[in-house]
Amino acid sequence: MSILVDPSTRVICQGITGRQGTFHSERALSSGTPIVGGVRRGKGGATHLGVPVFDTVAQAMEETQANASVIFVPPANAAEAIIEAVDARIALVVCVTERIPVLDMVRVRAHMTGSRTILVGPNSPGIAVPGLGTLGIMPQGIFLPGTIGIVSRSSTLTYEAVDQTTRSGLGQSSCVGIGADPVGGISASQCLNLFMEDQQTKGIVLIGEVGGTAEEKAAEFLATVVNPKPVVAYIAGQTVPEGRRMGHAGTIIHYGMGTARSKIDALREVGVKVVFSPVEIGLAMAECLRQAGPDSPQGQDKS
Amino acid sequence: MYLFEYQAKALMREWGIPVLEGMVATSERRALDVARELGEGPWVVKAQIHAGGRAQGRVDSADDLSGVEFTDTVLDVGRTAGRMLGARLATPQTMGHGETVNAVYIEPEVKSLAQLFVAFLVDGESAEPVCLASVRGGTQVERDVFDHPHSLIRMKLGSGSEISPAVGLEIASQLGLRISVRDAFARLIQQLHALFMAYDLSLIEVNPLAIRENDTLVALDARLTVDDNALFRQPGMAALASRTDVSQAEELAARYGFNFIQLDGDIGTFSSGAGLAMATLDALAHLDGRPANFLDVPPVLEVSRVKEAFLLVLSNPELRCLLVNVFGAGIMRCDTIADGLLLAHLEQPVKVPLVMRLAGTNAPLAVSRLERSGLSIQFVSDLESAAKTAVEHAHRPALTPKPQSITDRLSSWFSRTRTGSGP
Repeated sequence: MSILVDPSTRVICQGITGRQGTFHSERALSSGTPIVGGVRRGKGGATHLGVPVFDTVAQAMEETQANASVIFVPPANAAEAIIEAVDARIALVVCVTERIPVLDMVRVRAHMTGSRTILVGPNSPGIAVPGLGTLGIMPQGIFLPGTIGIVSRSSTLTYEAVDQTTRSGLGQSSCVGIGADPVGGISASQCLNLFMEDQQTKGIVLIGEVGGTAEEKAAEFLATVVNPKPVVAYIAGQTVPEGRRMGHAGTIIHYGMGTARSKIDALREVGVKVVFSPVEIGLAMAECLRQAGPDSPQGQDKS
Repeated sequence: MYLFEYQAKALMREWGIPVLEGMVATSERRALDVARELGEGPWVVKAQIHAGGRAQGRVDSADDLSGVEFTDTVLDVGRTAGRMLGARLATPQTMGHGETVNAVYIEPEVKSLAQLFVAFLVDGESAEPVCLASVRGGTQVERDVFDHPHSLIRMKLGSGSEISPAVGLEIASQLGLRISVRDAFARLIQQLHALFMAYDLSLIEVNPLAIRENDTLVALDARLTVDDNALFRQPGMAALASRTDVSQAEELAARYGFNFIQLDGDIGTFSSGAGLAMATLDALAHLDGRPANFLDVPPVLEVSRVKEAFLLVLSNPELRCLLVNVFGAGIMRCDTIADGLLLAHLEQPVKVPLVMRLAGTNAPLAVSRLERSGLSIQFVSDLESAAKTAVEHAHRPALTPKPQSITDRLSSWFSRTRTGSGP
């Protein structure tokens, strides 16, 4: 199986008639992604890319039984688009839009309190499940159905990890880009949890970045997992000079967390194999799986 | 977007937040006038740059001059301002060679009983603004907080656009402030929060916030950062940005929507995606290479923007090599990168060796186009070899040695024409 997306997933695209929405929906459709409709206020009743367009998410869900939405709405209106989807009680929202103001996302998250909708992103390349399709902007032609779960804060490095796990023949179970905005939806820890529970996934690649505490929190989560599957991690920005854009406050708020060092140390502490170049991800994963042995699909004998 | 201290304080003054009466000067002469207008000394002269740590910084023209100087006489104010203006100030928080000081801010020096630290920023984990506060304000605040974690008060503020005075009173009580200043402190917290929400700020840092003898409060320094993603709805802030001094290169980058940071090395980098751009810098640094810049070109369809990005990186005179690392995906296709580079080359011939690693969408097409162009490019298949090749180029003597005498030039021409026909 896969995570977040499965054969019952039916996708609508908010902003389907825009340039980005059109480009990526067309590609997703051609690779077999079940896009069943689109949303664009004022264009309800039209047909675009061969699928019906609706004025609202609620209408689109009513007519198409969609349970997932991909958002390609410009930054100024993206928060409202997420809120609309959440209010329509859709199960999954993937927000590709980047450069959404932080305070808009604060409002979105407050609005989502108590909601069951899962938000991926914003600033997310989306989700790809080889064999099922892509929700978002991940490129076609680099995936291979397989056993590695990939969760990443960086779009382009996600493709690196995909490329390598494809070349090494391991393939991917699911691939999720969670975005690296300060305030976002699903966390790295939550994705790791889903991968730990997913039968098809035998190993996990985590791609992090300096800043924030997603990786430290992921390490805290991994410490609580009994018999975890092998995890390989790469942290981008180990040598990028600190811009100190957030002043003393940015350093103080995390009490020293947030640096590449603190992330690497925290992940190593809980048995994660941390590599120093994205080039090593594929090999490291293969090695971890070999050590785990063919008789331990869950990596039980990892020590 | 970072506001200069004087811009931040002007905004705070407008909102009724207590700051000192200070004035800006951009010349020594004006500094003298400002000092006289501000009344009796002593005065503080502060370099206006887009970075903190000014008191620990050094002005490049002088070993004995920091970015914050205390002065006793009008003449001294003028002299200090004169030495700061036009010089570069490097602090623990600046990049590269520091920033040029184009203005100084002059304020009366005041005595304070205590110096607090107060900051507002968004906590990503709880997805809401938080207020951080400590009674140990000042330049050493980070160390103090790490050494005494309990001295830091951290108050979540919810997602609303207003907070009640009770929030500030609670912080004041946790800080153990004297009863007589708590009301003023609570009001200040409320005003700073309102400012934070109204202008889409990503950071307010008041350090120090002084408590004076008469129990009044005053913000001695102020650092305000605006969320760049919200500038579209903050025209006032955007206008301030257009008047602030960013390097020409960074201004250009901002216009085209690139994430560009000038660094002080000699290997230019060009990547798409912030993660990949960081990984590229990491790979260079592991091999002791010195990146000349950080550049993340967001996925674009327009070749013209890619061209501008190349021209931007190539305009750096320190450059000895350019490393291009692109994974074509989504709307970012490798052939767009190739076309952008070729257009840039037409406009401004590329003089440094190019090392390119192109993968993903349309990589073979891009490579074949570039190979036909006659540009000298080394194509490599992965990031590691790309970094290695680039570092080798950078460590090699420059391709065109700069100052050459006529004799040198003649002899090199002579040897070149000879080599082809040698035995």
